[in-house]
Amino acid sequence: MTTTRIGRLTAALLLSATLAVGVIALSACGSGSDTTASSSPSAASAAGPITVTDDSGAQVTLDQPATKIVSLAPANTEIAYAIGAGDKMVAGTSYDDYPEAAKALPKIGDFANPNIEKIASYSPDLVLAAGGIQDKLRSKLEALGMKVYVVDPKTYDGTIATIENVGKLAGTEAAATAVADTMTAAETEVQAKVSGLTPASTFLEIYSKPLMTAGSGTFIDDMIAIAGGENIGAQAGAGFPNFSTEVLVKDDPQVYIADSGSMSAPGEINKRPGFGELTAVKDGKVYVIEDSIIARPGPRLAEGLQKLAEMIHPEASAAQ
Amino acid sequence: MTKLARTGVWPGILLAAGVLAVCLALGLALGPVSLSLSQLWHLVTAGPVQGDLENAIFWEIRMPRVLVAALVGGALAVAGVILQDLFLNPLTDPYVTGVSSGAALGATIGIVLHWSNLPWITVLAIVGGLGTLVIVWMAARRRGRIDIFVLLLAGVTISYLASALVTVLMIKANQDMTAIIYWLMGSFSGRGWGDVRVALVTIPFMVLPLFFTREMDILLQGEKRALELGVEVERTKRLLLVTAGVLTALAVSVSGIIAFVGLVVPHIVRLLMGPGHRGLLPVSLLAGASLMVIADLLSRTVISPNEIPVGVVTTFVGAPLFVYLLRRGRRA
Repeated sequence: MTTTRIGRLTAALLLSATLAVGVIALSACGSGSDTTASSSPSAASAAGPITVTDDSGAQVTLDQPATKIVSLAPANTEIAYAIGAGDKMVAGTSYDDYPEAAKALPKIGDFANPNIEKIASYSPDLVLAAGGIQDKLRSKLEALGMKVYVVDPKTYDGTIATIENVGKLAGTEAAATAVADTMTAAETEVQAKVSGLTPASTFLEIYSKPLMTAGSGTFIDDMIAIAGGENIGAQAGAGFPNFSTEVLVKDDPQVYIADSGSMSAPGEINKRPGFGELTAVKDGKVYVIEDSIIARPGPRLAEGLQKLAEMIHPEASAAQ
Repeated sequence: MTKLARTGVWPGILLAAGVLAVCLALGLALGPVSLSLSQLWHLVTAGPVQGDLENAIFWEIRMPRVLVAALVGGALAVAGVILQDLFLNPLTDPYVTGVSSGAALGATIGIVLHWSNLPWITVLAIVGGLGTLVIVWMAARRRGRIDIFVLLLAGVTISYLASALVTVLMIKANQDMTAIIYWLMGSFSGRGWGDVRVALVTIPFMVLPLFFTREMDILLQGEKRALELGVEVERTKRLLLVTAGVLTALAVSVSGIIAFVGLVVPHIVRLLMGPGHRGLLPVSLLAGASLMVIADLLSRTVISPNEIPVGVVTTFVGAPLFVYLLRRGRRA
């Protein structure tokens, strides 16, 4: 019995330690790599080594464009296909569901538990990793001789920059630039729509029990701002923090948007304790947004940004 | 403190009730929107009113949360007293019977199936907890009597099994991992009147043992002695075990697994009141409720707008208090 209790305590301690480390790691990323990934000008030429700086601030150098790419996150897989490097993909994760072709890829495990041996078995010349829980993976993969690019942008523009970088590494720069231009065009269009409008206070729900939101230093926070919203969750710190229901009701958002990953539905959100008095509920501005277009830092963020703008400022979209 | 025990139990009970009243008032008054006593009075007398944010925060969010915390704290403390004394083991907490792990498994299944926003998670947790109680019960039953040590071992074993299944589910559905981990750590965040209704069911089960304090006192001297003194040992044991099991299952189903309260509150109260159950049970109930309300208050205010899991707070508040009382108790 003593052992169970100790076991449970140990487990609890380990869990809290893991969470704490995760939070610290996230906040560290938030402050550290805010500068958008940039590439060295020499990378533009087709011949010779290609060097870019990834979202963790590390330099990634390839002697020639990648031919075998392994992606460790659904967003990275989307980027690879969007920039015309789909045929170079040799493996992805079990959550890859876009585009359709990605579903057929061999799997290396999932986002949280990629299998290092599996990754190595494809002898990729480029691994597209994610930030956060995959932070420790880089050194292990590099020890095995693999090149790792960490996709972990903190802003919408940072996502565009990272897509261009991956294009350089994959040798599909022209297609990547086209994707980047589309994303920039979407941003310009949204900015034009909402310019001059008073920012609407917006709450974005990532999870409902416990209530979690997108904090400061995330690309979601950035996109809410671009779409003419004022992110209530930003006051709760970096990353994806939990959030007090009382503070939420006190701050009374004008717009309430739930990420579809939270499994919430507008009808259910309206009925939550205390939510009946929210301006967002009274005005009927409670929405669910598809999580793959807002929570994956890839090409479809453009679509996510346009949807956000329609939800936050429907009057602006109706006017045009 | 032994003087307290000698002068009868009522002063202790009244004092504990007073402390709980103060804790409830603090829990209702403090939060991101702090209320003065007069505002508090105004809100209480006005009742729930439509169209007022402050009123909604008080009646829809804070009040149910404080009530659930109080009921869960009381239930865990009472279950802790019962099980520590039945097992004659000071390290027992309400979770050794496996009921909490069974409840956790039920809740995890609910989370993984994404029945998150229905009362289903609570229902599945209760089913899981009571189901475990039945299994452990059947394992421990021999020729019409319950073998306490088999019960304990069966409880621990089922506990491990349920935890292993929870881990498997967590890995299979790791997009839900955060939700499961938060559930396991325990919280009162977002609890509404529906949860209060579930928690209210604990009240008869908290009151029931108060009618068996004499039997519980005698059982402390061992089952054989109790039999000699004319206690219906098996019937009493059965009743107490089911009571503790139901209390734990209900508490865990609305709050998750909150550490420390069920283990430490009975000990603290024993040090202050002595081992007699006529004082120990009611004061533990009131003290458990008070500790939980204060712990929840700290969990939602200290780093607002974030929340600290309440189990972390109960441990931070309870551990130093317990060590202090242990040292004082030794010397006296």
